Amino acid sequence: MLYEEIVDEELAIMDEEPEEPSKTLSPHEIQMPLRSLMRLPVTIELGASIQEAINLMIENRVGAVLVVSDGVLKGIFGERDVLLKILNKPVGDVAQIPVEHFMKADPHIAHVEDSLDTAILHMARGGFRHIPVVNELDQPVGMVSTRHIVSYIIDHFPQEVLTLPPEPVREAMQAREGA
Amino acid sequence: MDARTLSSPISTLNLNQPCYVELGTSVQEVISLMQEGQFGCVLVVDSQDRLVGIVTERDFLAKIMGKQVNPADVIVDEIMTPSPECLRPTDTVAFALNLMQLGHYRHIPLVIRDQKDAYPVGVVSIKDIMNHVATFLEAGKEE
Repeated sequence: MLYEEIVDEELAIMDEEPEEPSKTLSPHEIQMPLRSLMRLPVTIELGASIQEAINLMIENRVGAVLVVSDGVLKGIFGERDVLLKILNKPVGDVAQIPVEHFMKADPHIAHVEDSLDTAILHMARGGFRHIPVVNELDQPVGMVSTRHIVSYIIDHFPQEVLTLPPEPVREAMQAREGA
Repeated sequence: MDARTLSSPISTLNLNQPCYVELGTSVQEVISLMQEGQFGCVLVVDSQDRLVGIVTERDFLAKIMGKQVNPADVIVDEIMTPSPECLRPTDTVAFALNLMQLGHYRHIPLVIRDQKDAYPVGVVSIKDIMNHVATFLEAGKEE
């Protein structure tokens, strides 16, 4: 008797419509202000050395640091600058060269009220990986990176969209596609 | 933007040709290749063209600049991430996105598997996915 009850209950659960997870990013979500998405920026003073900037990036596990003078944003320096401008180049002692020599001056910026979709479009068009977020005094108050955006998108999609099926299932999926 | 944005196979993205080097290549040469081709990573293969590792800009930061070693004195084997996580070109963009998030990767090699061996056929980057998402956003704005 008890066994049948359990089976009935299981069948009833199977028949229930699964709860519909949020499968879209609504305009409201995609236009959310950067304020609620950005992280604190890692900053370095104008005049600090390239080596100091690199050490700061390693310590803080970030791909770029913001260069400031009196709290005002002057530039951005990142991994890409290290690869393209410094490695294999006869630049001299990186512990002696100030970061402003190799930073990107006047980077593309955003404000806390700018929306996520605008940031994504700017990043895609400009090939940027980071966008500094500044206040009305041009002081950096945040940083938005591709990584933050990926996290945000992932948080808004259901797990079944994101989770890789086990290998046998993928084999079968591929076999079907090939047939 | 909805689940369809993410459910297309990775192979439908507009991907660039990857850069390959063999085990034993000097880091100096790897850097030159990345600078010339504007690559964000290189895939490291063995003499049978099987994928054995990946090198990204990040590796230069900690393992070359951080330690202040000369790239000419180091081979790629010493700085690469060995046996990287891979996907198939037929896997979805969503899986790539999730794997990037879980592993903090910016690049994931795409491979064809034969038994235990993985042969690289491409690489998907976080930038490719951002461009894909941007395309959907732009299409949505025009509607």
